[in-house]
Amino acid sequence: MKNEVFNFQRFWNYFKYDFTQMWRAHVKAAVGIGLMGLIFYFLYNTFHLILSKGDWQGPSLNARLFVFGLAGFALTLYVTRIYGYLTDRRKGSAWLMNPASTFEKWASMLIMTLIVIPCAFLGSSLLVDSVITLADPTVDKSIISSFQNIIKDINENLVSVNNDYMTTWSIGAFTGIGIAAECIELLYFLLCGITFRKYKILGAFGIILGLSFIAPLVVSFMPIGSNAISFDDPAAAEQYFRHIMTTATIIAWAIAACLAGGVFWRLKTLKH
Amino acid sequence: MISIKNLSFSYGSKPVLKNISMDIKGGNIYGLLGENGVGKTTLLTLLCGLKKPLSGTIETDGRAPYDRQPSLLEEQFYLPDEVAPMHSKADAFGRETGRLWKKYDHVKYLNALKDFEIDPFQWMDRMSAGQLKKTWISFALACNARHYFMDEPTNGLDIPSKSQFRSAITKYTAEDAAVVISTHQVRDLEEIIDPIIILDKEDVLLCASLQTISEKLYFDYGSEIHPEALYLERTPGGAIQVYPNTSGEESKVNMEALFNAVHAHKDIVKALFQ
Repeated sequence: MKNEVFNFQRFWNYFKYDFTQMWRAHVKAAVGIGLMGLIFYFLYNTFHLILSKGDWQGPSLNARLFVFGLAGFALTLYVTRIYGYLTDRRKGSAWLMNPASTFEKWASMLIMTLIVIPCAFLGSSLLVDSVITLADPTVDKSIISSFQNIIKDINENLVSVNNDYMTTWSIGAFTGIGIAAECIELLYFLLCGITFRKYKILGAFGIILGLSFIAPLVVSFMPIGSNAISFDDPAAAEQYFRHIMTTATIIAWAIAACLAGGVFWRLKTLKH
Repeated sequence: MISIKNLSFSYGSKPVLKNISMDIKGGNIYGLLGENGVGKTTLLTLLCGLKKPLSGTIETDGRAPYDRQPSLLEEQFYLPDEVAPMHSKADAFGRETGRLWKKYDHVKYLNALKDFEIDPFQWMDRMSAGQLKKTWISFALACNARHYFMDEPTNGLDIPSKSQFRSAITKYTAEDAAVVISTHQVRDLEEIIDPIIILDKEDVLLCASLQTISEKLYFDYGSEIHPEALYLERTPGGAIQVYPNTSGEESKVNMEALFNAVHAHKDIVKALFQ
């Protein structure tokens, strides 16, 4: 009796097929988006050379972080295109008729969207930034080295507890919630990409706009605690901070799981 | 075997298929005929599992196509009217996609491409509509499926390609394969299709083999006019007439005349074949 839900050999065959299609059509595009930092570097230097009459000066860390964020946003929007072809009758029906289970197709889709594409983007953008930092002495710090400092800054601003354990824990907590938030973002745009037949990005922003009107109304009905937290007591502050972070992390991963479930449901019920 | 029982389907409030029952057996190339909009494509997409029946059942070797079980998907192939222009070369497309079908034969694919005079190293998204269709047909045949559902496969093919298609279908499909071909171009395929399914709005008007059709209906190619004819078409050399076969004589079935006769006298033909 064949396993109709998951068979490793079948999944591996499908994954190789999916990866090849991805590589040809989208991984190169993700790498290209990651190279936005390099384009910005050359544009910045060119304009700086012209305006300062020969003074060579690379872009600051903040400017490069801004471009990195912008590229990340572009990648998120691009996710709507990666599997957006499923709503196209010709390509979508060919995809549905490929001999693999919905679960296997879904698993491969999540690996591509949450790991392969972001890694291609991060790999290319951070590598380019590191090479620029090493090659150009006028560029101060690399984006990678700044990540830890950013989290430390946030941590110091949140609580005035200055011990190593707390800092290490906070970095872990922020990284965890950061990854969950990124997953939510990517899964949301993936779901919109395979749901809307046309105007996928507009549709995605339309829902966000709608939710932004509804969410404040829902929150206004929620009971809000009035107990003031004293940050003078480091132990209480840490406990409160941990509670907030744990709750937020659980909620974030629950939303990500719901969106992943939504993607599965959409694939299961897709018709052409 | 594909067993269809009391199948109904509608698009919103508009019914397309109503209470249809029939069996599709292996070893036959079924010709699915019907006017525009009667639901030929809908029936094909229901048979392969791209759509879910509104009511009734479809069972392909005991499995429901809409469940899209991998073991069934690797035994069937659906070729739509408009095929997808994949972003790869024909050879690479076969190699990469073919690994999903257990019985895929790359040599067969290359041979079929050669028969259709397609360069395997041509990019599929730069092919003409006809070339693209021939590439997909070659791939479909190389998958060695047991059930084929082809929607207007000769649309967009030039005259030599239509004849290449006919020989490819007979050459590359397994003897026990069930092939269902929906077409308006009956003349392109009348040499290979048998039995014939004629769909009408929400109904199946006829589902019979050529043998049965020629037993029940007589196709007269002479010039003498028969007033009892269900269908009469004057031709330069005389006429084609279709009338109930009362003498038991055999005649060559003319698909177009059959189609027109069935449409002009639905009730008579249905009663004749019941």
